[in-house]
Amino acid sequence: MATTSPVPDDTSIAERSTADLLVLVSAMPPEQFARVLTNLEAVFDPENMIVATPNEPTGKFSNLRTISTQHSSSTWALTPADFINAAQYAREHEARAILLLGPGAESLNPLALRGLADAVFKASIDLAIPHYSLPPHVGLINSAILYPLTRAVFASRARFPFAIDLGLSPRMADQLAIVAQSISSANQSDALLWPVNEAVAASFTMDEIDVGSREMPQPSDLDINSILALITGSLFGDIESKAALWQRPRRPSPVRRMTNEVAASDGTGDVARMVAAFQLAYANLHEIWSLVLPPNSLLLLKRCSVLDSASFRMPDNLWARIIYDFLVAYRLRTINRGHLLGALIPLYLAWVAGHINVTSSGIPAERHIEAVAAAFEADKPYLVARWRWPDRFTS
Amino acid sequence: MLSMIDNAIQQADMNTPAAPVSYDNASIWQHMSAALHQSLDRVLTQLIAVLPGLLAFVVALAIFSLAGMLISWLMRQLLGWVKFDSRVTHSIKSDWAPSSSPSELIARAMFWGCVLLGLIIGVSAFDTSYATGAALPISLLPYLTHAVGAALLLIAGILIARFLARSVLISAINAQIQYARILSLGVKWLVLVLTAAMVLDHLQVGGNVVELAFGILFGGIVLTLALAVGLGSRDLVSRSLESRVEHVGERTNIPDDASTASRTIRHF
Repeated sequence: MATTSPVPDDTSIAERSTADLLVLVSAMPPEQFARVLTNLEAVFDPENMIVATPNEPTGKFSNLRTISTQHSSSTWALTPADFINAAQYAREHEARAILLLGPGAESLNPLALRGLADAVFKASIDLAIPHYSLPPHVGLINSAILYPLTRAVFASRARFPFAIDLGLSPRMADQLAIVAQSISSANQSDALLWPVNEAVAASFTMDEIDVGSREMPQPSDLDINSILALITGSLFGDIESKAALWQRPRRPSPVRRMTNEVAASDGTGDVARMVAAFQLAYANLHEIWSLVLPPNSLLLLKRCSVLDSASFRMPDNLWARIIYDFLVAYRLRTINRGHLLGALIPLYLAWVAGHINVTSSGIPAERHIEAVAAAFEADKPYLVARWRWPDRFTS
Repeated sequence: MLSMIDNAIQQADMNTPAAPVSYDNASIWQHMSAALHQSLDRVLTQLIAVLPGLLAFVVALAIFSLAGMLISWLMRQLLGWVKFDSRVTHSIKSDWAPSSSPSELIARAMFWGCVLLGLIIGVSAFDTSYATGAALPISLLPYLTHAVGAALLLIAGILIARFLARSVLISAINAQIQYARILSLGVKWLVLVLTAAMVLDHLQVGGNVVELAFGILFGGIVLTLALAVGLGSRDLVSRSLESRVEHVGERTNIPDDASTASRTIRHF
């Protein structure tokens, strides 16, 4: 059995050996890394597992085989380098399954890790996506844009398409590595990858695994302006590059009810502040929005702008159309893309305010998010039509 | 006797004052006429010297434009025949708008390339012809070239002004600044005033007056903006400074949910 050691000789011994499972753990503080290793040790046989990580191995886990990788540039998401490393190490060690654990993975239940790996080992799934149980009003960009848009466009029911923990089959890892390689060669080492979209594009099997709660790592820059532009812009770009794929009719994947329900909303969000931001934007950004949105949407926004914060709601179908229109404008470069995503922020805040009001009224957050996603699905023909004939809808 | 009469008449003519006046009028008209004829000759000569160049310019532009249209049409047919668009779309995995498909872009590039070539050749022919008549005072052509440069400056200035105005407006709105529109308009007019001054300077119109007026106007706008922002956000600045003093080292620049809501709302 190989020993855990930062000494290069030991590492080379580990590199020569084979293992069924390769676990790639992102950079994290030593105590968190120790907890991840404890969890891994609890559910996997150390003989059949190799851990690749940029963290310094500790002597406590000498029975685990580790490989030292380079430090990732991101502290909150998986980077293209992570996918490239995963595929490379999986090939070298002939791994049958790869587990990618993002920053903050110590908060994951050991059984969740087992579930992700088993989906690949036993169910022959190519991509195992975790389904997190997050507190209310956490991961709102995902709930408002990423999940509904991915579900409608790629017919995928993955609730967290931008998951930071993944279970991969070797061929899925290879596929993601190819995409990551092309991104890296274009000097976009910090670009985001969309594994769900890639799995759909490659017609690989995919399943969602209930993993319970998890502490979501936050980007270093907490400013909503930069987060929304980065994540949404990346998804819009990916959708643009796969236009030929998603315009074909696809059968949506079957609905799978997860057992873990999030707690009821506490309704403490700063709704008044977000509604005020939207109203200020309506008074000043109308000219820019009119370049992107059709008159119908502008009229509905006008109606929203006169609502007070307590009764504020963003209709689901209006929100779906707004995102679709912004997606089309992103593709057509109607205005500068930075400006476009900046102009989306007040609308997103309006959706968040409406969502908090809805959940405060007693409707579970998940039910509202599902309703939004259903509205996106129902309006997909609008997106396809606008994508193909953009000028037809401007008047 | 007759000779005496002739002498008497000649002396009488020499003493008569009216005769030289009628002689001078005729001379001026002759001189004016001669001057006009010479001027007309000069202008016609000059025009004749420039005309072939002008004609060459027009002919070169027309021929190359027609050639460009033909080449562009041929290129469209050829690229359509080899299914160039679908091959490119497949290879780089990107969707193209129908109005800007790869073959359309190539065809347009060919057309405008030909037009540009025609322009260069035409201008070159015109330049040669102009050089031969350069001794004659044609001041319009250099001014026209300045005007083209000024027009380009103006277009660039307007584009930059619009871009910056939008950037400022969106950033200010997202920072929930109430006077975002004023700020945006201020930036827009600053750039436009700067552009106008540069254009007039390029056209050599106004001289020092433009520089002086620009300085006054630019300074005025900056002062107005400073006063508007300073007076409008006095409370905001003082609150921000107090907050900084009280919470040194804490993050204070989260614009959307910096209050208690940030503890319950997390966008990612």
